[in-house]
Amino acid sequence: MHNSKAHLWFIAPAIILMIIILIFPLFLAGGISFTDYNLGNKTFEWIGLENYDKMFNRKTYVKMIWATATYVIVVVPISVILGLCAAMLLNSLRFGADIYKTIFFLPVMATLLAMAIAWEFTLHPTLGIVNNFLANGCGGAREFIFGFHWLPWVDSEQSWYAVACANNMDFPYWLKQKNTAIWTVCFIGIWQAFGFNMVLYLAGLTGIPRELYQAAEMDGAKSTWEQFKLVTWPMLGPTTLFVVTITTIRTFQVFDTIEILTKGGPSKTTYVMMYAIFEKAIQQNLTSIGAAITVVFIGFILILTFFQRYIIEKRVHY
Amino acid sequence: MEAKQYIGEGWKHAILIVGAIVVLLPFYMMVSMSLKSQQEIQSISGGLIGAQETQTFPVCVKTGYSEEECTMKPYKYNYWFAFEKAPIPRYLMNGVIVTLSIFIIQVLVALPCAYALAKLRFYGREFVFSMVLFCLLIPVHGIALPLYVMLAQAGLVDTYSALILPWTISVFGIFLMRQFFMTVPDELIDAARMDGMGEYAIVWKVMLPTAIPALLAFAIFSVVAHWNDYFWPRMVITGNRDLFTPPLGIREFRGGIDSDEFGPMMASIVTVTVPLIVAFIIAQKRFIEGITLTGMK
Repeated sequence: MHNSKAHLWFIAPAIILMIIILIFPLFLAGGISFTDYNLGNKTFEWIGLENYDKMFNRKTYVKMIWATATYVIVVVPISVILGLCAAMLLNSLRFGADIYKTIFFLPVMATLLAMAIAWEFTLHPTLGIVNNFLANGCGGAREFIFGFHWLPWVDSEQSWYAVACANNMDFPYWLKQKNTAIWTVCFIGIWQAFGFNMVLYLAGLTGIPRELYQAAEMDGAKSTWEQFKLVTWPMLGPTTLFVVTITTIRTFQVFDTIEILTKGGPSKTTYVMMYAIFEKAIQQNLTSIGAAITVVFIGFILILTFFQRYIIEKRVHY
Repeated sequence: MEAKQYIGEGWKHAILIVGAIVVLLPFYMMVSMSLKSQQEIQSISGGLIGAQETQTFPVCVKTGYSEEECTMKPYKYNYWFAFEKAPIPRYLMNGVIVTLSIFIIQVLVALPCAYALAKLRFYGREFVFSMVLFCLLIPVHGIALPLYVMLAQAGLVDTYSALILPWTISVFGIFLMRQFFMTVPDELIDAARMDGMGEYAIVWKVMLPTAIPALLAFAIFSVVAHWNDYFWPRMVITGNRDLFTPPLGIREFRGGIDSDEFGPMMASIVTVTVPLIVAFIIAQKRFIEGITLTGMK
């Protein structure tokens, strides 16, 4: 073909950078996690698994794992399902789909940090429009809807809404209360992520041939739900797998909203891994424990992606 | 049948409109706060834009401006005072410098490599490609700590280099461009070689122009990600205001719910957020394509 050595010059920069920036740090993190090294120290000692031992036995880090797991387990399924529902709704609209698509995609685009601050004010107990909206609805339709009074087992005197109304409009301080903070952060996570999933699903939906629906109808699948079960859902298999993986990886990395809104609190209920790495290693200069968290974090991500590749090869072939 | 369909359509719109309201809520709050006066914000009155009554702003007077300078309409005051308080243009410029440098270096590194992987035959090609595939699995944010340690040892914390260096290699860019170059017919390259073009010239004069659509999508992907990135700048920029990127600026403006004035704070946040949103609304299709690029993996 060609006899020049050009390819060496073409691939060398990329290879060198891959090794220095992506591969070497993996080993560096692994190495540091077995020492008591802190940035700025001249010497260090090997301490074996002590850092990992701390991680799985000290309360703080157990809470960290819990917070991260809660966040991922709540945000991933809900944002994927919402994305799918939105995509199917938009796909069946006669007009106006583009406007909704733009609106739902806005959070994906907008600087998350800025939007986190905007949410902070929106949900603020005295300045925010959410609690103001709730307070103005005491005794009205809003109380009936959001207090879940329409559910047969909810006592309309004892619902959270009614209690808040009775106690001088004592609605939650969403981001500062122990029992609501993590859910509020999850909500912002879902709000930000579902538009991205929606767009991927919309692309997936256009790839389903119309004839399949006609064939399903002839086979007796008349209702929308039956057609969804028979055609749409299986055909979206590869998209779903991809959407779930990418959302999980992104969700694991949540940081911006936590750092600006809760700082891991109250009482570590929102202490997710990325924030823990930042707080321990950068703010408290405990480099080695930060490295141990990094290793566990990367481990999670690698397992997840290998799992995804495995399923792709095994199952999702249509 | 007809009527039933219309009712169905109506229900769908009803659901979607409720969804849209929830999605737009913080945007509304942000814009509204940046236009209203402090009293209106605190009493949650005045709707979207407030009454816009000309008034004298006490915080401004306290800061040392004359009373005359501090008398104006709230929306004007909020934006004017935001620019007085913080070097917003500097933050925006830093954002441009960092995102553009990252993108340009990424292309300079990725394009030749992608070309070699797609079109040149050489010993070890498969190995290099599997290395790329492996590196695709590593989230750069995840290895931020060891990278930080390396940069600290090199004395690079608090520099532009710290903001740019870790992002100079985009394995995703290599992968994307390689897939794209695979579709370029060999004849095109052979013809170029017959014309006496060297391999370098082929990369930049033949391959680059064919790759423009893919590059554009990648550009949007890269620029949006790094313009919005907060985690990495927060790690490596500790105090030097001259190096603040837009998100670090946003953090500085915030100062907490207890800060004295919300209007100018929100005005600065709006100013920093708006460029990207406007660009998105203008070139929506391209943006959606670019940001969901990862969907092609």
